[in-house]
Amino acid sequence: MKAYTSILAALALTLLAPATQAQVGKDVYTKTCSICHATGIAGAPRFGNAGDWTPRLAGGVARVHASALKGTAKGMPAKGGNPSLPDADVKAAVDYMIAAVKGASIVAPEAKSAALAKPAAVATKEEAKSPAKEPAKAAPARDETAPAPRRDEPKLAAIATPAAPATPATAGQTGGASVADVNAFNRLLKPPGKRNPPPPEDGIHDPSNDGTHALAPPMTAYANLPKSLAGNRINWVEAIGQKKINPRWDRIDAAAEPMVMDMNIVREVKGSMPDVVYPHKQHTEWLDCSNCHPAIFVPQKGANSISMAAILLGEKCGVCHGKVAFPVSECRLCHSKKKDTPRAQATAGGK
Amino acid sequence: MKKSHHWKGAALLGGLLAALSLFVAEIPDARAEYGDVVINNYSDGSGMRPAVFPHWFHRIRFRCKVCHADLGFKFKAGGNEINMVKIIDGQFCGACHNGEVAWSVENCNLCHTGKPGTPTQVHESTIQKLAQPVGTAAKK
Repeated sequence: MKAYTSILAALALTLLAPATQAQVGKDVYTKTCSICHATGIAGAPRFGNAGDWTPRLAGGVARVHASALKGTAKGMPAKGGNPSLPDADVKAAVDYMIAAVKGASIVAPEAKSAALAKPAAVATKEEAKSPAKEPAKAAPARDETAPAPRRDEPKLAAIATPAAPATPATAGQTGGASVADVNAFNRLLKPPGKRNPPPPEDGIHDPSNDGTHALAPPMTAYANLPKSLAGNRINWVEAIGQKKINPRWDRIDAAAEPMVMDMNIVREVKGSMPDVVYPHKQHTEWLDCSNCHPAIFVPQKGANSISMAAILLGEKCGVCHGKVAFPVSECRLCHSKKKDTPRAQATAGGK
Repeated sequence: MKKSHHWKGAALLGGLLAALSLFVAEIPDARAEYGDVVINNYSDGSGMRPAVFPHWFHRIRFRCKVCHADLGFKFKAGGNEINMVKIIDGQFCGACHNGEVAWSVENCNLCHTGKPGTPTQVHESTIQKLAQPVGTAAKK
């Protein structure tokens, strides 16, 4: 009976092992490959696009594996430009992409392009042209193949060791998860594996809804944007400054420009924190005067009492900062003007 | 004798799979994008999934002013009393989601993508973190 049980258990795990492997492939795809393969940057065969993949698969899967591992003259960097990836993980990602083509080859390319994310550039016009009427069809098939949420993977991997040795990536994730548990009290610390997940894995979107799988994963849009250390981990102000994005100032008129006002307001603060410099410039790039004045801030110097407590509770600066603009963990982005301390003044006076 | 073995084996396999599916079905901690807004004023009550608004996606395409000044969205998750009648009438989301500027309202399940029962929130916001200490699963 005991032997029978263990055979059954082994059987169950063997059945589960491919799912785990598919999950590894999916993870690698999401983190590395999707940057080019989601939208076809530099001629990369697009995810789920049978037309792109069929000619490449004609020479056999092994050749595609080799191209992915060693790179190609056409532009594919070796291991997608991430040399730290184990060979097995690269192959798993390739298999994941091939599986997506085989699973979704019936889908018309138009529907696919509507379903997949648009690049960072403003894409509203394209969006209007190709209303995503049935983008839902594109995705569900591939995602249902690996429904196990990432969190369960370590457990599965641990049990599955005798049947299918855990790949280094899976082991790495196990490590990541335990670090996250240890530091769970530190809410500012988000392990890299948990940043910017695609909608079906983010815990808010319902993976059983077909529309969820048609939504753009954030990383597909973030690839070219300047990075920051908090929030979306994108420096949105810089993104406009460097002209990486050009969000519309008007709903319809793409040529409308904001009226940017360059005026800094310095607020002296109590305690030892550096004083706050409030730049109108960066704010008027995004906002209209009426967004803040007079409801949130009385446009008069000294008329507004602002405290960190109010901000943390979502008032004053906290109406946006800590919700969508950079969060309050980034103290020095506001508290940026060094105080003239009595000591500094004394030194200066002594000279 | 052999038959009973089969039966027991099948039951065991079933039990094993049930146990596995239990922790597969377990909802992982929400870790959606900073600024994603879940709006669940009426959705749960109407048997729809809550609507999820991705701030990041929209701010790549539009500056804050377009929605928050021109279209009249207040800076308050769930504070705008948006309903489908207003949207179809061209207010709020309907100002763009009309098949002209962006895809139209008939794509219900592109907005109504939230897990049923998810409360109205600005995801990852300071207030959400303050009001919901880590470990209180009930408030999720």
